[in-house]
Amino acid sequence: VSVSRRSDGTIVLDGRCPVEDAEVLLELLQATPAASLDWTQCIHLHTAVLQVVLAARPPLAGQCGDAWVRQWLEL
Amino acid sequence: MNELHAQFITEARELVEQASDDLIALERDGASVERIDRIFRAFHTLKGSAGVVELPPMSLTLHAAEDLLSGIHAGRLDPTSTIVDGALACLDQVSRWVDDFEIRGALPSQAGEDARAMAEQLRDLISEEHAAERGKPEAGTGSASVAEGRLAEWVSHLVASAGARISRPEKIPVNLLAVSYEPRSGCFYDGDDPLQLMRQVPDLLVFRIEARDGWPPLASLDPYACNLRLRCLSAADRAALSSIFRLVPDQVRIIDVPSSALPAEPANRRDADMGALVRTVVEEQRRMLRVGSGVGEGIGRIRAAARVTANAFRHDRRQDLAERIEVAGASAASRGDVSDLLLLLDEILDQPPTARIADGEVARLGEPAGSTAEGSERFARRPLRVDESKIDALINLAGELIVAKNGLAHLVKRLEAEIGGRDLARAIRRDHDVIERLAGEMRAAILQLRMVPVAQVFRSFPRLVRDMSRQLSKEAAFVTRGETTECDKTVVDLLFEPLLHLVRNALDHGIEDPEQRRSLGKPEMATISIQAARAGDRLIVEVIDDGRGINPDTVRRKARERGLLGDQELAALADEQAVELIFAAGFSTAAEVSDISGRGVGMDVVRTTVGRIGGRVSLTSRVGVGTTVRLDLPTTIAMSRIMVVEAGGQAFGIHMDAVTETVRLTPDRISRIKTNEGFVLHDHVVPICSLAELMNLPRKPASDLTARLVVVAETGGKLAGFEVDAIRDRLEVVLKPMQGLLSNARGYAGTTLLGDGSVLLVLDLKEILP
Repeated sequence: VSVSRRSDGTIVLDGRCPVEDAEVLLELLQATPAASLDWTQCIHLHTAVLQVVLAARPPLAGQCGDAWVRQWLEL
Repeated sequence: MNELHAQFITEARELVEQASDDLIALERDGASVERIDRIFRAFHTLKGSAGVVELPPMSLTLHAAEDLLSGIHAGRLDPTSTIVDGALACLDQVSRWVDDFEIRGALPSQAGEDARAMAEQLRDLISEEHAAERGKPEAGTGSASVAEGRLAEWVSHLVASAGARISRPEKIPVNLLAVSYEPRSGCFYDGDDPLQLMRQVPDLLVFRIEARDGWPPLASLDPYACNLRLRCLSAADRAALSSIFRLVPDQVRIIDVPSSALPAEPANRRDADMGALVRTVVEEQRRMLRVGSGVGEGIGRIRAAARVTANAFRHDRRQDLAERIEVAGASAASRGDVSDLLLLLDEILDQPPTARIADGEVARLGEPAGSTAEGSERFARRPLRVDESKIDALINLAGELIVAKNGLAHLVKRLEAEIGGRDLARAIRRDHDVIERLAGEMRAAILQLRMVPVAQVFRSFPRLVRDMSRQLSKEAAFVTRGETTECDKTVVDLLFEPLLHLVRNALDHGIEDPEQRRSLGKPEMATISIQAARAGDRLIVEVIDDGRGINPDTVRRKARERGLLGDQELAALADEQAVELIFAAGFSTAAEVSDISGRGVGMDVVRTTVGRIGGRVSLTSRVGVGTTVRLDLPTTIAMSRIMVVEAGGQAFGIHMDAVTETVRLTPDRISRIKTNEGFVLHDHVVPICSLAELMNLPRKPASDLTARLVVVAETGGKLAGFEVDAIRDRLEVVLKPMQGLLSNARGYAGTTLLGDGSVLLVLDLKEILP
């Protein structure tokens, strides 16, 4: 799984984030709705994971590491 | 084309015709219950049969039409001319699809989307008519405005947010397409990644993603229910987009954005997408690189220039350009040579991509001009559809012309021998040569009419492989090569069944399970490929898999179990020969019977089918590495090469394809086993039969001293020797099937006319053997 929580509470997406990551990410966000999300190291985002991000709108630390998402997604 | 499909095509055409007539009568003469009934039934039957031959877009369209008609049927709607127009338009679409289906065996790639558009128009008719009945003012618009494309609100939003990145050109119309994709809620479970489809959209201009039904509170969000709507604007052509979204036609709408909807082009801003600042920066870097473009100097400077340029593009949201610059820059720095980098800069600066859009072109950077040329070609080279039987009639005529020409050669011989007019004979011979050349060319040109690309058969396989591999829980990539290779239609039509068996077998028996493959160190994804190529006048089609291969020992064991061959014979077989036993009738190596194959039929069908048109099958396999089955086929079957032999005072033709060799046997080489005779050829015992005896003709008294002439031929996979009195000729002839009273005569493959006007019977060796 490429979703984890850093010691400072930030949720981190790392590398390729497949569909299964959506559930893990959602659980983390449900537990701490105010935690910020660091997706700078994510290189490929599955639609389902992006959907969780769009629904939860966590504070974002930096730009998305997935180049296509960074270029085309307007948050 | 199988029988079911052929029947569907005929039936669909009749129904379309009948429904059109009735619709027109309905409009002209008014509605009668009986007439409406008949129209409704025609649409209903069409929908049903479209479902049977699995054409979902057609079913979808007809379903919408049916809804409309059931409104009339139930008296909820009046059959106004708008509605009749809609229903007729739907029939037109169906009839175009039926044509496509007949020619290519499939619907065009944009069919799904056309179907959706058509269904939407029909549904609009229902609601508009309802509204009209309720007397609402907006109902008066009718379907015309829908067809003209009233710009949907969401499209206007997309266009507006694209802002200055798109602008209306002065003269030439631009084609922008707006895509709205609403994935089904359960799409993640099917392995769909909607974003992945969007990533593939070429010439993307704007992308939007939003919740379809608003976001629920986070606590009740289902992470695996897709609640998204993805929209974009692209300058790519419709075919490209249709092909990307071809698997989700029911979830996607692709709409033309008329150029009038685009914001007007701001004055004096040609290269709308590349900000003036960025352009200046990049041009400056190019100038610097040009100035010092000596080889081997200033690596640091090259790197800096590339970095600045890439950053400038990135600033302009041109990630693609930035990446290309980075790659070219790195390679330029490592070689100390900037010429390639400069070329790339020239390409970008002198032909900025959206300046191209502004100029009305939709070609992409670095893409050959093929895709746009295709469109104009459609007008230039419209294919002419001709009934197959008309072409066959031409082939027959050309064949008879060749026979007549052969007769001329015969005459020249007689002229020389009987009258002795040398000069006259030479003159006629010269004319004969000209006629021969022309007749040959004419026949070749006519045969060319029957040539079709093998892509026609290959096309159905990607889907089949996908379905079958899913069914078997195996993973296989499917590759085709040489789809444009052409060959006679009869051969192409005949290829489907053998290829189907071969691909099935490869998937079922050849390809290992993913776990097995992993443990063997092979990639989990297996590869099955079909490739076609011409080799002289033969068509070679190979089916290649990288599966487990065929173990010759397993094959030997199976062959023994099934009593196909004795122990000694099996032991004598080389491994390469042993694996070919899988083509023998009644052979199956499947450990268990599966749905896909392994019913003990299949591989022998391949050999028989291919053999029927003078083709051969061979197989090479390496255990653990894979199997290649090779079909060696004639490219035309209109002409046959035959050998003319004499037996019992009569001439007979034998197919050259069957003849392996001719031998002259001295009596000491012939051994007698009871009443049968045989001889040893290449370590095989070949039985000898007298052709005269087989044909119930008087046999020439055999002298014990003279050598006997034997034609060795392969029939039904076995060698047999046919004793003949003489071998007269080898000819290329047009073989005609036996006709009339003789059509049931066994033992003959057909007849042909010889140059002297006599009729030659060509034998079917398999049938005359006892």
